[in-house]
Amino acid sequence: MRTHLLGLAAFVALGLAYPVLFPSALTIAITILLFVGWATAWDVLGGWAGQVSLGHAAFVGLGAYFVAIGVTEYGLAPWWSALLGMAVAAALAFAWGWLTFGLRGPYFTLSTIAFAEILRLVAINEGWLTGGATGVFIMTLPEPFGLDLFDRQTQYWLALGFAVLVIGIVVALSRGRFGYALRAVREDEDAAMAAGIDPKRTKLKAFMLSGALTALGGGLYGIVLSFLEPHVMFYLLLSVQIALTAIIGGRGTIWGPAAGAMVLIGSGEVFRTTFAEANLLIYGVLILVIVLFAPRGLVGEATRRAIRRRYAKRAQS
Amino acid sequence: MPSALRAEGLTVRFGGNVAVSDVSLALAPGEILGLIGPNGAGKTTLFNALTGYVTPESGRVSLFDRDITRLAPHERARAGCGRTFQTERPFEELTVLENVLVAAFLHEPRRSGAERLARETLEQVGLGDRADQPAGDLNLARRRRLELAKALATRPRVIFLDEVMAGLNPPALREMIAFVSELSRKGLAVLMVEHIMEAIVELSDHVIVMASGAKIAEGAPEAVMRDERVIEAYLGTD
Repeated sequence: MRTHLLGLAAFVALGLAYPVLFPSALTIAITILLFVGWATAWDVLGGWAGQVSLGHAAFVGLGAYFVAIGVTEYGLAPWWSALLGMAVAAALAFAWGWLTFGLRGPYFTLSTIAFAEILRLVAINEGWLTGGATGVFIMTLPEPFGLDLFDRQTQYWLALGFAVLVIGIVVALSRGRFGYALRAVREDEDAAMAAGIDPKRTKLKAFMLSGALTALGGGLYGIVLSFLEPHVMFYLLLSVQIALTAIIGGRGTIWGPAAGAMVLIGSGEVFRTTFAEANLLIYGVLILVIVLFAPRGLVGEATRRAIRRRYAKRAQS
Repeated sequence: MPSALRAEGLTVRFGGNVAVSDVSLALAPGEILGLIGPNGAGKTTLFNALTGYVTPESGRVSLFDRDITRLAPHERARAGCGRTFQTERPFEELTVLENVLVAAFLHEPRRSGAERLARETLEQVGLGDRADQPAGDLNLARRRRLELAKALATRPRVIFLDEVMAGLNPPALREMIAFVSELSRKGLAVLMVEHIMEAIVELSDHVIVMASGAKIAEGAPEAVMRDERVIEAYLGTD
Protein backbone atom coordinates (compact mmCIF):
# COMPACT_ATOMS: atom_id res chain seq x y z
CA MET A 1 0.00 0.00 0.00
CA ARG A 2 2.70 2.47 0.98
CA THR A 3 4.66 1.71 -2.17
CA HIS A 4 1.60 2.41 -4.28
CA LEU A 5 0.84 5.67 -2.50
CA LEU A 6 4.47 6.69 -3.01
CA GLY A 7 4.11 5.71 -6.65
CA LEU A 8 1.00 7.82 -6.92
CA ALA A 9 2.81 10.75 -5.32
CA ALA A 10 5.69 10.34 -7.77
CA PHE A 11 3.21 10.20 -10.64
CA VAL A 12 1.56 13.41 -9.48
CA ALA A 13 4.97 15.10 -9.05
CA LEU A 14 5.93 14.08 -12.58
CA GLY A 15 2.59 15.35 -13.81
CA LEU A 16 3.10 18.71 -12.08
CA ALA A 17 6.63 19.10 -13.44
CA TYR A 18 5.85 18.13 -17.02
CA PRO A 19 4.14 21.33 -18.26
CA VAL A 20 7.05 23.36 -16.87
CA LEU A 21 9.62 21.16 -18.60
CA PHE A 22 7.81 20.62 -21.90
CA PRO A 23 5.27 23.42 -22.30
CA SER A 24 5.07 22.88 -26.05
CA ALA A 25 4.30 19.14 -25.90
CA LEU A 26 1.03 19.20 -23.97
CA THR A 27 -1.17 17.53 -26.58
CA ILE A 28 0.79 14.28 -26.56
CA ALA A 29 0.83 14.33 -22.75
CA ILE A 30 -2.95 14.76 -22.69
CA THR A 31 -3.33 11.76 -24.99
CA ILE A 32 -1.02 9.69 -22.80
CA LEU A 33 -2.88 10.69 -19.63
CA LEU A 34 -6.24 9.86 -21.18
CA PHE A 35 -4.89 6.43 -22.12
CA VAL A 36 -3.43 5.99 -18.63
CA GLY A 37 -6.92 6.53 -17.24
CA TRP A 38 -8.74 4.47 -19.85
CA ALA A 39 -6.35 1.52 -19.72
CA THR A 40 -6.42 1.53 -15.91
CA ALA A 41 -10.23 1.67 -15.96
CA TRP A 42 -10.33 -1.07 -18.61
CA ASP A 43 -8.10 -3.17 -16.41
CA VAL A 44 -10.59 -3.17 -13.52
CA LEU A 45 -12.69 -5.41 -15.75
CA GLY A 46 -10.11 -6.85 -18.15
CA GLY A 47 -7.23 -7.44 -15.76
CA TRP A 48 -8.58 -7.65 -12.21
CA ALA A 49 -11.80 -9.44 -13.11
CA GLY A 50 -10.31 -11.17 -16.17
CA GLN A 51 -13.11 -10.19 -18.56
CA VAL A 52 -11.45 -8.85 -21.70
CA SER A 53 -13.50 -6.13 -23.37
CA LEU A 54 -12.94 -4.96 -26.93
CA GLY A 55 -15.76 -2.48 -26.72
CA HIS A 56 -14.50 0.21 -24.37
CA ALA A 57 -14.58 2.80 -27.16
CA ALA A 58 -18.34 2.64 -26.59
CA PHE A 59 -17.85 4.25 -23.18
CA VAL A 60 -15.39 6.79 -24.54
CA GLY A 61 -17.96 7.70 -27.18
CA LEU A 62 -20.80 7.85 -24.68
CA GLY A 63 -18.93 10.24 -22.42
CA ALA A 64 -17.81 12.43 -25.33
CA TYR A 65 -21.26 12.58 -26.93
CA PHE A 66 -22.99 13.34 -23.64
CA VAL A 67 -20.68 16.27 -23.05
CA ALA A 68 -20.90 17.53 -26.64
CA ILE A 69 -24.67 17.20 -27.00
CA GLY A 70 -25.23 18.49 -23.49
CA VAL A 71 -23.30 21.65 -24.28
CA THR A 72 -24.51 22.26 -27.83
CA GLU A 73 -28.16 21.20 -27.58
CA TYR A 74 -29.18 21.65 -23.97
CA GLY A 75 -26.72 24.19 -22.62
CA LEU A 76 -25.77 21.73 -19.91
CA ALA A 77 -22.40 22.30 -18.22
CA PRO A 78 -19.87 19.61 -19.23
CA TRP A 79 -19.31 18.36 -15.67
CA TRP A 80 -23.00 17.60 -15.27
CA SER A 81 -23.28 15.92 -18.63
CA ALA A 82 -20.08 13.97 -17.90
CA LEU A 83 -21.69 12.68 -14.70
CA LEU A 84 -24.81 11.82 -16.66
CA GLY A 85 -22.65 10.04 -19.25
CA MET A 86 -20.98 8.05 -16.48
CA ALA A 87 -24.34 7.02 -15.06
CA VAL A 88 -25.59 5.94 -18.48
CA ALA A 89 -22.32 4.09 -19.12
CA ALA A 90 -22.75 2.22 -15.84
CA ALA A 91 -26.37 1.42 -16.67
CA LEU A 92 -25.43 0.11 -20.12
CA ALA A 93 -22.57 -1.91 -18.65
CA PHE A 94 -25.02 -3.42 -16.20
CA ALA A 95 -27.49 -4.31 -18.94
CA TRP A 96 -24.82 -5.69 -21.24
CA GLY A 97 -23.12 -7.62 -18.47
CA TRP A 98 -26.43 -9.03 -17.30
CA LEU A 99 -27.00 -10.43 -20.76
CA THR A 100 -23.50 -11.68 -21.48
CA PHE A 101 -21.73 -12.67 -18.25
CA GLY A 102 -23.25 -16.09 -18.59
CA LEU A 103 -20.89 -16.46 -21.54
CA ARG A 104 -17.44 -17.74 -20.70
CA GLY A 105 -14.15 -17.35 -22.50
CA PRO A 106 -13.93 -15.40 -25.75
CA TYR A 107 -17.69 -14.99 -26.19
CA PHE A 108 -17.96 -12.12 -23.76
CA THR A 109 -15.12 -10.39 -25.61
CA LEU A 110 -16.84 -10.86 -28.96
CA SER A 111 -20.09 -9.51 -27.57
CA THR A 112 -18.37 -6.30 -26.46
CA ILE A 113 -17.30 -5.62 -30.06
CA ALA A 114 -20.96 -5.85 -31.02
CA PHE A 115 -21.88 -3.57 -28.12
CA ALA A 116 -19.62 -0.75 -29.35
CA GLU A 117 -20.69 -1.33 -32.92
CA ILE A 118 -24.37 -0.96 -31.96
CA LEU A 119 -23.64 2.38 -30.32
CA ARG A 120 -21.66 3.50 -33.37
CA LEU A 121 -24.59 2.68 -35.64
CA VAL A 122 -26.95 4.53 -33.33
CA ALA A 123 -24.66 7.55 -33.43
CA ILE A 124 -24.55 7.44 -37.24
CA ASN A 125 -28.24 6.88 -37.82
CA GLU A 126 -29.90 8.99 -35.15
CA GLY A 127 -28.76 12.22 -36.77
CA TRP A 128 -31.33 14.39 -34.96
CA LEU A 129 -29.50 13.66 -31.71
CA THR A 130 -25.89 13.03 -32.65
CA GLY A 131 -25.33 14.95 -35.86
CA GLY A 132 -25.10 11.62 -37.68
CA ALA A 133 -22.02 10.75 -39.70
CA THR A 134 -21.01 14.41 -39.96
CA GLY A 135 -20.54 14.62 -36.21
CA VAL A 136 -20.83 17.38 -33.61
CA PHE A 137 -18.70 20.47 -33.07
CA ILE A 138 -18.24 21.91 -29.62
CA MET A 139 -18.08 25.64 -30.31
CA THR A 140 -18.53 27.15 -26.87
CA LEU A 141 -17.87 25.92 -23.36
CA PRO A 142 -18.64 27.50 -20.01
CA GLU A 143 -15.70 28.97 -18.09
CA PRO A 144 -15.81 27.68 -14.52
CA PHE A 145 -13.71 29.93 -12.23
CA GLY A 146 -12.54 31.71 -15.36
CA LEU A 147 -10.88 28.57 -16.73
CA ASP A 148 -10.80 28.25 -20.50
CA LEU A 149 -11.64 24.60 -21.18
CA PHE A 150 -10.36 24.93 -24.75
CA ASP A 151 -6.92 25.80 -23.41
CA ARG A 152 -4.41 22.93 -23.64
CA GLN A 153 -2.98 23.80 -20.25
CA THR A 154 -6.40 23.44 -18.58
CA GLN A 155 -7.08 20.24 -20.46
CA TYR A 156 -3.74 18.89 -19.33
CA TRP A 157 -4.63 19.41 -15.66
CA LEU A 158 -8.00 17.80 -16.16
CA ALA A 159 -6.40 14.81 -17.89
CA LEU A 160 -3.87 14.51 -15.06
CA GLY A 161 -6.72 14.65 -12.55
CA PHE A 162 -8.58 11.95 -14.45
CA ALA A 163 -5.55 9.63 -14.58
CA VAL A 164 -4.76 10.16 -10.88
CA LEU A 165 -8.39 9.59 -9.90
CA VAL A 166 -8.59 6.26 -11.75
CA ILE A 167 -5.25 5.00 -10.44
CA GLY A 168 -6.22 6.16 -6.94
CA ILE A 169 -9.44 4.15 -7.12
CA VAL A 170 -7.55 1.05 -8.20
CA VAL A 171 -4.96 1.50 -5.43
CA ALA A 172 -7.80 1.76 -2.92
CA LEU A 173 -9.70 -1.28 -4.14
CA SER A 174 -6.63 -3.46 -4.70
CA ARG A 175 -6.19 -4.17 -1.00
CA GLY A 176 -9.80 -4.54 -0.04
CA ARG A 177 -12.59 -7.05 -0.26
CA PHE A 178 -13.78 -6.05 -3.72
CA GLY A 179 -10.27 -6.17 -5.19
CA TYR A 180 -9.75 -9.71 -3.93
CA ALA A 181 -13.21 -10.78 -5.09
CA LEU A 182 -12.28 -9.57 -8.57
CA ARG A 183 -9.05 -11.58 -8.60
CA ALA A 184 -10.73 -14.66 -7.19
CA VAL A 185 -13.38 -14.56 -9.91
CA ARG A 186 -10.68 -14.16 -12.56
CA GLU A 187 -8.70 -17.11 -11.26
CA ASP A 188 -11.49 -19.61 -10.65
CA GLU A 189 -15.21 -18.88 -10.43
CA ASP A 190 -16.09 -22.14 -8.68
CA ALA A 191 -13.46 -21.62 -6.01
CA ALA A 192 -14.57 -18.00 -5.66
CA MET A 193 -18.13 -19.15 -4.98
CA ALA A 194 -16.83 -21.49 -2.28
CA ALA A 195 -15.53 -18.33 -0.58
CA GLY A 196 -19.00 -16.79 -0.71
CA ILE A 197 -18.32 -14.56 -3.71
CA ASP A 198 -21.07 -14.04 -6.29
CA PRO A 199 -19.17 -14.09 -9.61
CA LYS A 200 -21.84 -12.44 -11.74
CA ARG A 201 -22.45 -9.63 -9.29
CA THR A 202 -18.72 -9.06 -8.91
CA LYS A 203 -18.21 -8.90 -12.67
CA LEU A 204 -21.17 -6.55 -13.07
CA LYS A 205 -19.78 -4.16 -10.49
CA ALA A 206 -16.38 -4.24 -12.21
CA PHE A 207 -17.95 -3.60 -15.61
CA MET A 208 -20.02 -0.69 -14.30
CA LEU A 209 -17.08 0.94 -12.55
CA SER A 210 -14.84 0.39 -15.56
CA GLY A 211 -17.43 1.77 -17.99
CA ALA A 212 -18.28 4.82 -15.90
CA LEU A 213 -14.62 5.81 -15.43
CA THR A 214 -13.90 5.32 -19.13
CA ALA A 215 -16.88 7.55 -19.96
CA LEU A 216 -15.48 10.26 -17.69
CA GLY A 217 -12.27 10.25 -19.73
CA GLY A 218 -14.42 10.17 -22.86
CA GLY A 219 -16.12 13.41 -21.84
CA LEU A 220 -12.74 15.04 -21.47
CA TYR A 221 -11.63 13.59 -24.82
CA GLY A 222 -14.66 15.18 -26.45
CA ILE A 223 -13.61 18.57 -25.10
CA VAL A 224 -9.99 18.02 -26.17
CA LEU A 225 -10.99 17.13 -29.74
CA SER A 226 -14.00 19.50 -29.72
CA PHE A 227 -15.17 17.64 -32.79
CA LEU A 228 -16.85 14.25 -32.49
CA GLU A 229 -17.70 11.77 -35.20
CA PRO A 230 -18.98 8.22 -34.73
CA HIS A 231 -16.15 6.68 -36.74
CA VAL A 232 -13.58 7.94 -34.25
CA MET A 233 -15.52 7.73 -30.99
CA PHE A 234 -16.93 4.25 -31.17
CA TYR A 235 -14.16 2.85 -33.33
CA LEU A 236 -12.96 -0.73 -32.78
CA LEU A 237 -9.36 0.44 -33.19
CA LEU A 238 -9.74 2.67 -30.13
CA SER A 239 -11.14 -0.25 -28.14
CA VAL A 240 -8.24 -2.42 -29.24
CA GLN A 241 -5.74 0.29 -28.38
CA ILE A 242 -7.12 0.67 -24.85
CA ALA A 243 -7.05 -3.08 -24.28
CA LEU A 244 -3.59 -3.46 -25.82
CA THR A 245 -2.20 -0.66 -23.66
CA ALA A 246 -3.32 -2.42 -20.50
CA ILE A 247 -2.21 -5.86 -21.67
CA ILE A 248 1.27 -4.72 -22.74
CA GLY A 249 1.73 -2.86 -19.48
CA GLY A 250 0.50 -5.73 -17.33
CA ARG A 251 -3.07 -6.84 -16.67
CA GLY A 252 -4.23 -6.87 -13.10
CA THR A 253 -1.38 -4.71 -11.85
CA ILE A 254 -1.82 -1.20 -10.51
CA TRP A 255 0.87 0.48 -12.59
CA GLY A 256 0.84 -1.78 -15.66
CA PRO A 257 -1.81 0.06 -17.70
CA ALA A 258 -0.19 3.41 -16.90
CA ALA A 259 3.23 2.10 -17.94
CA GLY A 260 1.67 0.63 -21.07
CA ALA A 261 0.16 3.98 -22.00
CA MET A 262 3.46 5.78 -21.56
CA VAL A 263 5.41 3.20 -23.56
CA LEU A 264 2.89 2.60 -26.34
CA ILE A 265 1.40 6.04 -26.88
CA GLY A 266 4.70 7.76 -26.15
CA SER A 267 6.74 5.56 -28.48
CA GLY A 268 3.97 5.65 -31.07
CA GLU A 269 4.39 9.40 -31.21
CA VAL A 270 8.19 9.22 -31.33
CA PHE A 271 8.09 6.58 -34.08
CA ARG A 272 5.62 8.61 -36.10
CA THR A 273 7.85 11.65 -36.11
CA THR A 274 11.19 9.89 -36.57
CA PHE A 275 10.46 6.91 -38.82
CA ALA A 276 7.67 8.33 -40.95
CA GLU A 277 6.38 5.49 -43.13
CA ALA A 278 7.97 2.68 -41.13
CA ASN A 279 6.44 3.74 -37.82
CA LEU A 280 3.64 1.16 -37.73
CA LEU A 281 6.09 -1.62 -38.56
CA ILE A 282 8.37 -0.65 -35.69
CA TYR A 283 5.37 -0.20 -33.41
CA GLY A 284 4.25 -3.72 -34.31
CA VAL A 285 7.71 -5.14 -33.63
CA LEU A 286 7.78 -3.43 -30.23
CA ILE A 287 4.45 -5.01 -29.28
CA LEU A 288 5.63 -8.39 -30.51
CA VAL A 289 8.84 -8.21 -28.49
CA ILE A 290 6.97 -7.30 -25.30
CA VAL A 291 4.40 -10.04 -25.79
CA LEU A 292 7.12 -12.63 -26.46
CA PHE A 293 9.45 -11.73 -23.62
CA ALA A 294 7.02 -10.38 -21.05
CA PRO A 295 3.77 -12.28 -21.55
CA ARG A 296 2.38 -10.90 -18.30
CA GLY A 297 3.12 -7.38 -19.46
CA LEU A 298 5.96 -5.09 -18.44
CA VAL A 299 4.87 -4.46 -14.87
CA GLY A 300 3.32 -7.92 -14.50
CA GLU A 301 6.66 -9.67 -15.08
CA ALA A 302 8.51 -7.26 -12.84
CA THR A 303 6.16 -7.67 -9.85
CA ARG A 304 6.02 -11.44 -10.15
CA ARG A 305 9.80 -11.58 -10.07
CA ALA A 306 9.88 -9.21 -7.12
CA ILE A 307 7.42 -11.37 -5.16
CA ARG A 308 9.47 -14.51 -5.86
CA ARG A 309 12.71 -12.80 -4.93
CA ARG A 310 11.29 -11.35 -1.74
CA TYR A 311 9.95 -14.74 -0.69
CA ALA A 312 13.24 -16.51 -1.54
CA LYS A 313 15.19 -14.00 0.51
CA ARG A 314 12.88 -14.35 3.47
CA ALA A 315 12.95 -18.15 3.26
CA GLN A 316 16.78 -18.14 3.37
CA SER A 317 17.11 -15.87 6.34
CA MET B 1 -29.85 -31.73 18.89
CA PRO B 2 -30.67 -30.20 15.49
CA SER B 3 -29.03 -31.55 12.38
CA ALA B 4 -26.20 -29.41 11.11
CA LEU B 5 -26.85 -30.80 7.67
CA ARG B 6 -29.77 -32.82 6.42
CA ALA B 7 -30.52 -34.11 2.95
CA GLU B 8 -33.75 -35.83 2.04
CA GLY B 9 -34.32 -37.86 -1.10
CA LEU B 10 -31.70 -36.14 -3.21
CA THR B 11 -31.77 -37.22 -6.85
CA VAL B 12 -29.47 -35.82 -9.50
CA ARG B 13 -29.88 -36.69 -13.16
CA PHE B 14 -27.50 -35.82 -15.98
CA GLY B 15 -29.47 -36.27 -19.18
CA GLY B 16 -30.77 -39.82 -18.94
CA ASN B 17 -28.27 -40.96 -16.31
CA VAL B 18 -29.15 -40.98 -12.66
CA ALA B 19 -25.95 -39.86 -10.93
CA VAL B 20 -27.43 -39.71 -7.44
CA SER B 21 -30.57 -41.63 -6.61
CA ASP B 22 -32.76 -40.82 -3.63
CA VAL B 23 -30.00 -40.26 -1.08
CA SER B 24 -30.79 -39.01 2.41
CA LEU B 25 -28.34 -38.20 5.18
CA ALA B 26 -28.11 -36.33 8.44
CA LEU B 27 -25.14 -34.91 10.25
CA ALA B 28 -24.96 -33.41 13.74
CA PRO B 29 -22.56 -30.67 14.90
CA GLY B 30 -19.21 -32.20 15.86
CA GLU B 31 -19.95 -35.36 13.93
CA ILE B 32 -17.82 -36.76 11.12
CA LEU B 33 -19.63 -38.49 8.28
CA GLY B 34 -17.51 -40.49 5.84
CA LEU B 35 -18.76 -40.95 2.32
CA ILE B 36 -17.16 -43.86 0.48
CA GLY B 37 -17.76 -45.95 -2.60
CA PRO B 38 -16.03 -47.06 -5.77
CA ASN B 39 -15.18 -44.59 -8.54
CA GLY B 40 -18.25 -43.36 -10.35
CA ALA B 41 -20.51 -44.08 -7.39
CA GLY B 42 -21.79 -40.52 -7.37
CA LYS B 43 -19.95 -39.28 -4.27
CA THR B 44 -18.65 -36.11 -5.84
CA THR B 45 -22.00 -35.40 -7.50
CA LEU B 46 -23.74 -35.79 -4.15
CA PHE B 47 -21.14 -33.47 -2.68
CA ASN B 48 -21.80 -30.91 -5.40
CA ALA B 49 -25.55 -31.17 -4.91
CA LEU B 50 -25.11 -30.52 -1.19
CA THR B 51 -22.87 -27.51 -1.78
CA GLY B 52 -24.96 -26.09 -4.61
CA TYR B 53 -22.71 -26.72 -7.59
CA VAL B 54 -25.18 -29.17 -9.11
CA THR B 55 -28.95 -28.70 -9.10
CA PRO B 56 -30.82 -31.75 -7.88
CA GLU B 57 -33.90 -32.92 -9.73
CA SER B 58 -35.70 -33.62 -6.49
CA GLY B 59 -35.09 -33.73 -2.78
CA ARG B 60 -34.11 -31.06 -0.30
CA VAL B 61 -31.06 -29.93 1.63
CA SER B 62 -31.17 -28.04 4.90
CA LEU B 63 -28.54 -26.46 7.08
CA PHE B 64 -29.48 -26.13 10.75
CA ASP B 65 -33.13 -26.48 9.73
CA ARG B 66 -32.86 -23.78 7.09
CA ASP B 67 -33.83 -24.96 3.62
CA ILE B 68 -30.89 -24.26 1.31
CA THR B 69 -31.99 -26.39 -1.65
CA ARG B 70 -32.48 -23.38 -3.92
CA LEU B 71 -29.40 -21.46 -2.84
CA ALA B 72 -26.44 -20.88 -5.17
CA PRO B 73 -22.98 -22.07 -4.03
CA HIS B 74 -21.88 -18.62 -2.84
CA GLU B 75 -25.08 -18.25 -0.84
CA ARG B 76 -24.50 -21.62 0.80
CA ALA B 77 -20.97 -20.53 1.64
CA ARG B 78 -22.44 -17.48 3.37
CA ALA B 79 -24.93 -19.72 5.17
CA GLY B 80 -22.08 -21.78 6.60
CA CYS B 81 -21.01 -24.44 4.09
CA GLY B 82 -17.25 -24.59 3.63
CA ARG B 83 -15.79 -26.86 1.00
CA THR B 84 -12.54 -28.03 -0.50
CA PHE B 85 -12.12 -29.19 -4.06
CA GLN B 86 -10.89 -32.61 -5.07
CA THR B 87 -8.43 -31.12 -7.53
CA GLU B 88 -7.16 -28.41 -5.23
CA ARG B 89 -7.69 -24.99 -6.66
CA PRO B 90 -5.44 -22.28 -5.30
CA PHE B 91 -5.77 -18.87 -6.91
CA GLU B 92 -2.39 -19.39 -8.53
CA GLU B 93 -1.54 -15.76 -9.16
CA LEU B 94 -2.12 -14.82 -5.55
CA THR B 95 0.12 -15.49 -2.59
CA VAL B 96 -0.81 -18.06 0.04
CA LEU B 97 -1.99 -15.34 2.40
CA GLU B 98 -4.06 -13.64 -0.30
CA ASN B 99 -5.75 -16.93 -1.13
CA VAL B 100 -7.00 -17.20 2.42
CA LEU B 101 -7.79 -13.49 2.55
CA VAL B 102 -10.31 -13.96 -0.26
CA ALA B 103 -12.23 -16.34 1.99
CA ALA B 104 -11.62 -14.37 5.19
CA PHE B 105 -13.30 -11.30 3.68
CA LEU B 106 -16.60 -13.20 3.78
CA HIS B 107 -17.13 -12.43 7.46
CA GLU B 108 -14.45 -9.79 7.99
CA PRO B 109 -15.15 -7.02 5.50
CA ARG B 110 -12.24 -4.88 6.71
CA ARG B 111 -8.71 -5.61 5.58
CA SER B 112 -7.18 -5.62 9.06
CA GLY B 113 -9.70 -8.09 10.45
CA ALA B 114 -9.57 -10.29 7.37
CA GLU B 115 -5.79 -10.37 7.42
CA ARG B 116 -5.73 -11.32 11.09
CA LEU B 117 -8.22 -14.13 10.46
CA ALA B 118 -6.27 -15.31 7.41
CA ARG B 119 -2.96 -15.41 9.31
CA GLU B 120 -4.55 -17.25 12.21
CA THR B 121 -6.04 -19.80 9.86
CA LEU B 122 -2.69 -20.28 8.12
CA GLU B 123 -1.01 -20.87 11.48
CA GLN B 124 -3.72 -23.36 12.32
CA VAL B 125 -3.04 -25.46 9.21
CA GLY B 126 0.72 -25.06 9.56
CA LEU B 127 1.31 -22.74 6.63
CA GLY B 128 2.17 -19.68 8.70
CA ASP B 129 5.69 -19.49 7.29
CA ARG B 130 4.45 -19.74 3.69
CA ALA B 131 2.17 -16.71 3.76
CA ASP B 132 4.07 -14.70 1.16
CA GLN B 133 4.79 -17.51 -1.27
CA PRO B 134 2.93 -17.56 -4.60
CA ALA B 135 0.24 -20.22 -4.14
CA GLY B 136 1.04 -21.80 -7.50
CA ASP B 137 4.47 -22.81 -6.14
CA LEU B 138 3.19 -24.99 -3.27
CA ASN B 139 3.63 -28.77 -3.29
CA LEU B 140 0.67 -31.13 -3.07
CA ALA B 141 0.51 -31.57 0.71
CA ARG B 142 0.70 -27.82 1.25
CA ARG B 143 -1.91 -27.16 -1.42
CA ARG B 144 -4.24 -29.45 0.51
CA ARG B 145 -3.67 -27.48 3.65
CA LEU B 146 -4.24 -24.28 1.76
CA GLU B 147 -7.57 -25.68 0.51
CA LEU B 148 -8.48 -26.41 4.11
CA ALA B 149 -7.42 -22.94 5.22
CA LYS B 150 -9.55 -21.36 2.50
CA ALA B 151 -12.57 -23.38 3.59
CA LEU B 152 -11.99 -22.67 7.29
CA ALA B 153 -11.51 -18.94 6.81
CA THR B 154 -15.16 -18.67 5.72
CA ARG B 155 -16.02 -19.73 9.32
CA PRO B 156 -18.17 -22.67 8.22
CA ARG B 157 -20.54 -24.64 10.41
CA VAL B 158 -20.40 -27.65 8.12
CA ILE B 159 -17.23 -28.47 6.23
CA PHE B 160 -17.13 -30.61 3.12
CA LEU B 161 -13.77 -32.29 2.53
CA ASP B 162 -13.36 -33.81 -0.92
CA GLU B 163 -10.47 -36.30 -0.77
CA VAL B 164 -8.13 -34.13 1.23
CA MET B 165 -6.07 -37.19 2.21
CA ALA B 166 -5.38 -38.55 -1.27
CA GLY B 167 -1.75 -38.68 -2.32
CA LEU B 168 -0.34 -37.64 1.06
CA ASN B 169 2.71 -39.46 2.41
CA PRO B 170 2.28 -41.24 5.78
CA PRO B 171 3.44 -38.42 8.08
CA ALA B 172 1.36 -35.86 6.19
CA LEU B 173 -1.60 -38.23 6.33
CA ARG B 174 -1.27 -38.59 10.12
CA GLU B 175 -1.19 -34.83 10.49
CA MET B 176 -4.26 -34.38 8.33
CA ILE B 177 -6.19 -37.03 10.27
CA ALA B 178 -5.30 -35.35 13.56
CA PHE B 179 -6.32 -32.01 12.12
CA VAL B 180 -9.75 -33.16 10.91
CA SER B 181 -10.37 -34.85 14.24
CA GLU B 182 -9.54 -31.57 15.98
CA LEU B 183 -12.04 -29.72 13.78
CA SER B 184 -14.88 -31.99 14.83
CA ARG B 185 -13.87 -31.68 18.48
CA LYS B 186 -14.38 -27.95 18.08
CA GLY B 187 -17.96 -28.63 17.04
CA LEU B 188 -17.70 -28.46 13.29
CA ALA B 189 -19.80 -30.95 11.35
CA VAL B 190 -17.57 -32.73 8.83
CA LEU B 191 -18.65 -34.52 5.68
CA MET B 192 -15.75 -36.19 3.92
CA VAL B 193 -15.40 -38.10 0.72
CA GLU B 194 -12.35 -40.28 1.07
CA HIS B 195 -10.68 -43.29 -0.49
CA ILE B 196 -8.11 -43.74 2.28
CA MET B 197 -9.79 -46.34 4.51
CA GLU B 198 -7.39 -45.72 7.36
CA ALA B 199 -8.73 -42.17 7.61
CA ILE B 200 -12.35 -43.23 7.24
CA VAL B 201 -12.17 -45.89 9.94
CA GLU B 202 -10.28 -43.72 12.35
CA LEU B 203 -12.28 -40.53 11.92
CA SER B 204 -15.86 -41.32 10.95
CA ASP B 205 -18.62 -41.55 13.50
CA HIS B 206 -20.79 -42.74 10.72
CA VAL B 207 -20.20 -44.01 7.19
CA ILE B 208 -22.37 -43.97 4.09
CA VAL B 209 -21.46 -46.26 1.22
CA MET B 210 -22.57 -45.39 -2.28
CA ALA B 211 -22.57 -47.45 -5.46
CA SER B 212 -24.09 -46.53 -8.82
CA GLY B 213 -25.63 -43.39 -7.38
CA ALA B 214 -27.48 -45.05 -4.54
CA LYS B 215 -26.82 -45.44 -0.84
CA ILE B 216 -26.17 -49.15 -0.30
CA ALA B 217 -25.07 -49.21 3.32
CA GLU B 218 -24.84 -46.98 6.34
CA GLY B 219 -23.60 -47.31 9.89
CA ALA B 220 -20.55 -47.43 12.09
CA PRO B 221 -17.33 -47.81 10.06
CA GLU B 222 -16.34 -51.31 11.27
CA ALA B 223 -19.83 -52.71 10.72
CA VAL B 224 -20.12 -51.19 7.26
CA MET B 225 -16.76 -52.62 6.18
CA ARG B 226 -18.02 -56.14 6.90
CA ASP B 227 -21.28 -55.61 5.02
CA GLU B 228 -21.79 -58.10 2.16
CA ARG B 229 -23.10 -55.47 -0.26
CA VAL B 230 -20.16 -53.20 0.41
CA ILE B 231 -17.60 -55.90 -0.22
CA GLU B 232 -19.49 -56.82 -3.36
CA ALA B 233 -19.59 -53.23 -4.59
CA TYR B 234 -15.85 -52.81 -4.09
CA LEU B 235 -14.62 -56.21 -5.23
CA GLY B 236 -17.39 -57.33 -7.57
CA THR B 237 -18.95 -60.79 -7.45
CA ASP B 238 -17.50 -63.93 -8.99
